Amino acid sequence: MEQFWNEFPILSVITLFLGAFLTSLVGRASEKAGRVVSGIAVTAPLAMMLCLIRPVMLQGQIITYWLGGWEPVEGWAIGICLEVDALSLFFALIVTVAVFVSCFYAFTYMNHDDALSNYYTLFLMLSGSVLGLVLSGDLFNVFVMIEIMTFTAVALTAFRTTYEGALEGAFKYLAVGSLGSTCVLVGIAMTYSQLHTLNLAQIAALVPAFRGNTVLHMAFAFLFVGFGTKAFLFPFHPLAADAHAVAPASISLMISGVLTKCGVYGIIRLIYVLFQNANVVTVSYLVTGFGAVSMFVCVTMAFNQHNFKRLLAFHSISQVGYVITVAGLSSALGLGAGLYHAMNHTIFKGLLFLTAGAVQHQTGSLDLDRLGGLSRRMPKTTALFLIGAASISGLPPFNGFASKWMIYQATFTAGLIHHNLFYLAVCVCALITSVLTLASFIKVTQSVFFGQLPAEYAGVEEVPLSMRAPMWVLAALCLLTGIFPAQIQRFLLTPAVSAVANIPAYVDAAMGEGYAAAHGVPGAEVSALPVGGAWSPLSWLALLFSVTCAVAIVAILGSARDEAHEYISQTQDGAAGAKYDSFFSGEEAVYSQVGGSDLFWGFKHNWKRYFAVMQRWHSGIVNDYTLYGVAAIAFVLLVCTLAL
Amino acid sequence: MFEKMIDRSMAKSPWIFHINAGSCNGCDIELVSVLTPRYDAERLGFRLTGTPRQADIVVVSGPVTLQSRDRLIRTLEQVPQPRVVVSLGSCPRSGNVFKGSYAIDGPLEKWTHVDVSVAGCTPKPEAIVAALAQATEILEQKRKEMRK
Amino acid sequence: MEFVLNNLFFLLVYPGGLFCVAMGILLSGADRILVARMQRRVGPPLLQNWYDVLKCCGKETIIPRHARRGVYLFAPVAGFAALVTIPLFLPVVNGRPAFSGNSDLVVVLYLLTLVSVCGMVGASASGSPFAGVGLSREMVAMISYELPFVLVILAVSLKTVILSEAGVPLTFSLTEIWNYQAANGPLICHWSLIPAALAMLFVIPCEVGMHPFDVAEAETEICEGMLSEYSGKPLAVYKLTHMVKLYVMTALFYVLFLGGMSTGIAAADGAILAVVCLLLTFLTMSLPHAVCARFRVEQVFKFYWTWVSGLALVSLVLVFFGL
Repeated sequence: MEQFWNEFPILSVITLFLGAFLTSLVGRASEKAGRVVSGIAVTAPLAMMLCLIRPVMLQGQIITYWLGGWEPVEGWAIGICLEVDALSLFFALIVTVAVFVSCFYAFTYMNHDDALSNYYTLFLMLSGSVLGLVLSGDLFNVFVMIEIMTFTAVALTAFRTTYEGALEGAFKYLAVGSLGSTCVLVGIAMTYSQLHTLNLAQIAALVPAFRGNTVLHMAFAFLFVGFGTKAFLFPFHPLAADAHAVAPASISLMISGVLTKCGVYGIIRLIYVLFQNANVVTVSYLVTGFGAVSMFVCVTMAFNQHNFKRLLAFHSISQVGYVITVAGLSSALGLGAGLYHAMNHTIFKGLLFLTAGAVQHQTGSLDLDRLGGLSRRMPKTTALFLIGAASISGLPPFNGFASKWMIYQATFTAGLIHHNLFYLAVCVCALITSVLTLASFIKVTQSVFFGQLPAEYAGVEEVPLSMRAPMWVLAALCLLTGIFPAQIQRFLLTPAVSAVANIPAYVDAAMGEGYAAAHGVPGAEVSALPVGGAWSPLSWLALLFSVTCAVAIVAILGSARDEAHEYISQTQDGAAGAKYDSFFSGEEAVYSQVGGSDLFWGFKHNWKRYFAVMQRWHSGIVNDYTLYGVAAIAFVLLVCTLAL
Repeated sequence: MFEKMIDRSMAKSPWIFHINAGSCNGCDIELVSVLTPRYDAERLGFRLTGTPRQADIVVVSGPVTLQSRDRLIRTLEQVPQPRVVVSLGSCPRSGNVFKGSYAIDGPLEKWTHVDVSVAGCTPKPEAIVAALAQATEILEQKRKEMRK
Repeated sequence: MEFVLNNLFFLLVYPGGLFCVAMGILLSGADRILVARMQRRVGPPLLQNWYDVLKCCGKETIIPRHARRGVYLFAPVAGFAALVTIPLFLPVVNGRPAFSGNSDLVVVLYLLTLVSVCGMVGASASGSPFAGVGLSREMVAMISYELPFVLVILAVSLKTVILSEAGVPLTFSLTEIWNYQAANGPLICHWSLIPAALAMLFVIPCEVGMHPFDVAEAETEICEGMLSEYSGKPLAVYKLTHMVKLYVMTALFYVLFLGGMSTGIAAADGAILAVVCLLLTFLTMSLPHAVCARFRVEQVFKFYWTWVSGLALVSLVLVFFGL
């Protein structure tokens, strides 16, 4: 088993951390050198993770690496361990791709800022910590990585200190994020007090013998809330909004696409592998309930936003809510759907944040009520945004549809098999959330990219290719992962889901052959995920074909290109020459843009009481948010100690 | 063949956009009465649209007041070709009782070519239907000319 | 080769393309005549909507200065393309969709969404403030009917779902819905699903955007709303889309609640489908059109999220408890 790739997990993490220190040394002397170093530092881990696909995903190996060669002695793991199974690798791939894209985007995007060597140093530390977290086989190591991740993320949120609210957002993140980290630490301490080990595999092996142990139940509650904080689940979602709105777009991508995924990874690892209580009804209700509430509350909150990135931030939590919801169903289909959506969310939300960054970079504004008509000046960014918006709204043939379809099927099936109305209600909630998501993105489309161009943005130019290229990578991924769901399922999802279900293999890989059997760890093989109607590639072909026909028709129609389009208004006396102006009931064509907050009156009017309550809750005061956090901890603790 | 079909349907589906250029509302009411069950202009394919972009026949009523003049011209410009302009009632033709007023900048011919005009203060609905039917023929004619 | 030709035929002629355009023209023409007769008018000829479309093709296409040319022209056509794909998934004849394999209700739901989205994006790209208001209303109308629509879909799926060999339920499958009805009679005869069928009857006119629910295209208040700036050929495509939607929605109702009946003769089945679609058009579109004045948008929302959703929910709960 001594293969060259066994060193890859540790190498990839070290490359990023080493890159961070090197950038801070080199970057001060020359900015270019800093860029080269960070470029290499993000490319190498991506390459390594791609190399690992074959052994881990396809051959089902589990790679373990003991730091300093301190392997377990007499069945006790005392050394620090990196353990990469298919689930870890799945998230590691998401992380490395997102880091790669974010880094190359930032090269041009950050050119209005100074102190860039600090930026790259922090960015690489953040990346390294996240990668270390998903690859780690040790619970305390997870905590250390969470701490590095939180503090670098806080620093990066406040990187543009001149921005209004940057320090405020960072402070909120710091205060409430520390609450989450503390929860994780308390949970770890409680686990250690009972099991006397911190190794993930060993915990998984020992837990079955401790069924009904109240301290462990409390530990689970703390760990769940801790990871939930990192995923910004309800009621921690206001933080994400405050942080995203002020952070640079490349960092917003990291927070929404990567940091929240750490929370998701943590929760999946926690309930399926460590505590193996995903099939306990209370836990299932708890996880699914928190997911569903996050999903719905955040999507309605997004309706009221005036800031492009704040809106995206709320949608980010909403989509993570989808993932958590199905992860709590404790079915292979649910977990597969969750992982698929987690991956898709990183791709399309990353794309959306980058387009928001492009808009901000060129216009200097993110205000949905002031922007407008940018498609005339930035057509390529508009196309990219439309791809991202179609993906997140779940329109075929983009990736959001494929994963959302699996989510509906998973929740519906759960409701059917368990004969449970709660899961059916969650299914309805998921479907409605999808429509509301669409509504939000129609709002952005109308108020930023279409409509009329304000005079102050008449000179705006398209972003350079160096910023568009990373976006095109993500856009291509949106389409590819949507058109080839069967392949994604075969090469990525099924291995990851099987790895989660096959706990004995995870235990044995770290602790030595036979350890799991000796401790009576239950395990089940997972059959291939079920395939249904939406997977039929023929339907996609049909749709693609008809759209191609449509393109051809438009091309033919467009060939009758009326030169009059290039008509320029002659301001004669009176009103002649108004042929190509917008019809405005005969009035002169004044600037009139229907901005973001003017839309969807009919919806908001009927929900005004709900929105009034929500507005009161989202007070923006950090004390309140901390209080919600404490309330969430108390609630989960109560549920876990009483009902488990 | 397709072009011929289009030519023929030009006369079968005329959509009307109505501009009030300072009318006293008398003609406007009569125009609406044309669409009521009694006269039922929809049987000839007529339909009132809300925007000049979709209009084929523009019906103008009123003596073209100074206030409405620019708006009238602007809206007429925004109607796609081929279009037919119908003046409704005596006001757009002659100014009627408002003739000579400081507030009037008519007649309608001064600003646009009028294809059909209906006289009367107010015109009878029968006369309006007849004028609209005549307008559809002009419309088809214009379409054929436009094609050449 | 034969495979490609077959599918091309499905897409362009039957049941997509030409067939649904023809059905759409006939149904919408019939609707206009029915409304006229109820108002004691003569009404336009049956092919009036076809003349309208042809006429629009013959008009000048004005692209306003504030419009984004490509999207403005492309959006209506893309919406139409997505719409004619839907009939390929509907097992209207013999319980088999034109495409082999499972056809899926959620796919149909999202394709319908795609059609509306194309309309909204096109409206948005036209740069008119009226279109902006129109698309806002269209979106709210869409949120309104989506909830009952989803509940109906869940109720029907729950009633007809079966377990496959692997023990995994085949959810949302239109083929299974058809098979269930072939074995147990049309779903509308099952009393637990009658509320859902009623809810679906309400969903149809709002989805199509017919008169009392055409808040997005109000002529008088917001100058045709979404279509405010559209003229010429793109407008013709929009009108065509509107008509085909009429057929698609009524056919969807047929598949969901009246399916499973087959005489064995394709032509007879087609005739039955046409008659059912016509009846549904009368019931869900002409009748409310002749009777009601247009709703305000927040009334539409309230109506659908309370009464119509309530009906669908009753069905869902009844089916859930095995009735």
